[in-house]
Amino acid sequence: MEKVIEIKNLTKLYKNGRGIKDINLDIFQGDIFGFLGPNGAGKTTAMKIMTGLVRPQSGDVNILGYSVTEEYENAMEKVGCLIEIAEAYPYLSAFDNLKQLARYYPNVDHQRIDEVLEITGMSKYKDEKPTKFSLGMKQRLGLAAAVLSRPKVVILDEPLNGLDVEGMIAIRKIILHLAETEQTTFFISSHLIHDVELTCNRIGVIYNGEMLNVETTQTILSNYATLENYFVSEVEQYGRVSSCAD
Amino acid sequence: MAVFQAALINEIEKLYKKKKAVVAILLSLAVIVIGQLAIVGVRSGFGLRGAGSVEFPMLVLAVVVNIILPLFTALVAIDSFSGEFSQNSMRITLTRPVSRFKIFSAKITAIVLFTLATLLLLLIFSMLAGFIFNTNSGTLDSFARTVLSYLVSVLPLVVLALGIVLLANLFKSGISVFFVSILVFIVLKVLGVVFSQYSSLLMTSQLDWYNLFLVNSFPLGKIVRQFFLMLGSGIMLFIAGFYFFDKKEF
Repeated sequence: MEKVIEIKNLTKLYKNGRGIKDINLDIFQGDIFGFLGPNGAGKTTAMKIMTGLVRPQSGDVNILGYSVTEEYENAMEKVGCLIEIAEAYPYLSAFDNLKQLARYYPNVDHQRIDEVLEITGMSKYKDEKPTKFSLGMKQRLGLAAAVLSRPKVVILDEPLNGLDVEGMIAIRKIILHLAETEQTTFFISSHLIHDVELTCNRIGVIYNGEMLNVETTQTILSNYATLENYFVSEVEQYGRVSSCAD
Repeated sequence: MAVFQAALINEIEKLYKKKKAVVAILLSLAVIVIGQLAIVGVRSGFGLRGAGSVEFPMLVLAVVVNIILPLFTALVAIDSFSGEFSQNSMRITLTRPVSRFKIFSAKITAIVLFTLATLLLLLIFSMLAGFIFNTNSGTLDSFARTVLSYLVSVLPLVVLALGIVLLANLFKSGISVFFVSILVFIVLKVLGVVFSQYSSLLMTSQLDWYNLFLVNSFPLGKIVRQFFLMLGSGIMLFIAGFYFFDKKEF
């Protein structure tokens, strides 16, 4: 299977000691990769490096064969992303916000903008400005922006933040549909373990800035009753190993 | 080039839709109305001539280039950088297939176009006002020099904008950038008066360089020297601003 994302020896440590340490990870085409970890584990840091918002201290990320630090434009050409809170220009309508992004992709026209607004259930608000949007609506607009260019790779940091149950189900359906029909690869971080279990086919656990394990959801669920049990077991095992090392 | 073009169109659209730039242009044009009213008042009240048809645009330029345009250029530059840093909306562009250099260059180009558009509008409206309300004293030569004065005034304003962009990439808050910019501007103006022999080196004194184009002998040597001084400082400020923009984490 084609390697879509390659994370090599990625390290970024902040002054407060948090960050990520020597992370190695390979994501393959068609993967819906769930990036699991508690708050402050380093998920967002890793994803910010993957999308060029933060530079690593060492290591690199290759997306579709291009280095994010060296060949940014090529690396991001077929990538859509949503990092932390979905941002939008408050003085532009939802449609105009997407139109701004569409200019970077020659194959994205107004019809495609309408299409993604329809998919994410934002069509009726397309002429409204995001200042009046709820967090869930902003998140939907962010998702529309992430899939606008028909990307091969979609990086989503906590995409279900602020969404109601209906919204969560809708987004999950979109992810599964795109992965199945267009072989889109997803890299999703979430603290909602149940949702990761339902959506992702491979799962990586990050804890304290270190990558603990990567396993397919199928293998995990054949050994553990739930993904939550697996996560707790991995974290406890890490705790025992690090306390022995101390 | 297509990517830069997309980034530039986006920046221009943002400037236009935010309406701040439009308001700035309208306020600049208000200077013409106020100036013209003052001249008409002086003429009818004291019987003085005030300004002729070609002198009026130069009077407007002197006021605009030293006070109003630096202020509005600062506001637009700060909004384009600090505004987007604080709202986190810079991420929207940064996570697209466009390099930081192209984003930075597109933002600077949009600020340059804003300054140029304001100057051109001021030129057209001040000339119209001059011709309509004032005595006709212009020649073709003075008309050409007026147009040239307006056009060349964009250069020191761009250098000033680059300085403000550098500050916007150094300080976190837009308000800090605004006040530091004003403080630096005042300090440079004072230094220009105190050390007048070195004033040509200061960017605030360079704002008046259009006067060189009005001198009958046309001091080419001085113009070339001033041009290269501004070009040099502009390049240095651009590189320094981009260095900090490129290093920024979002």
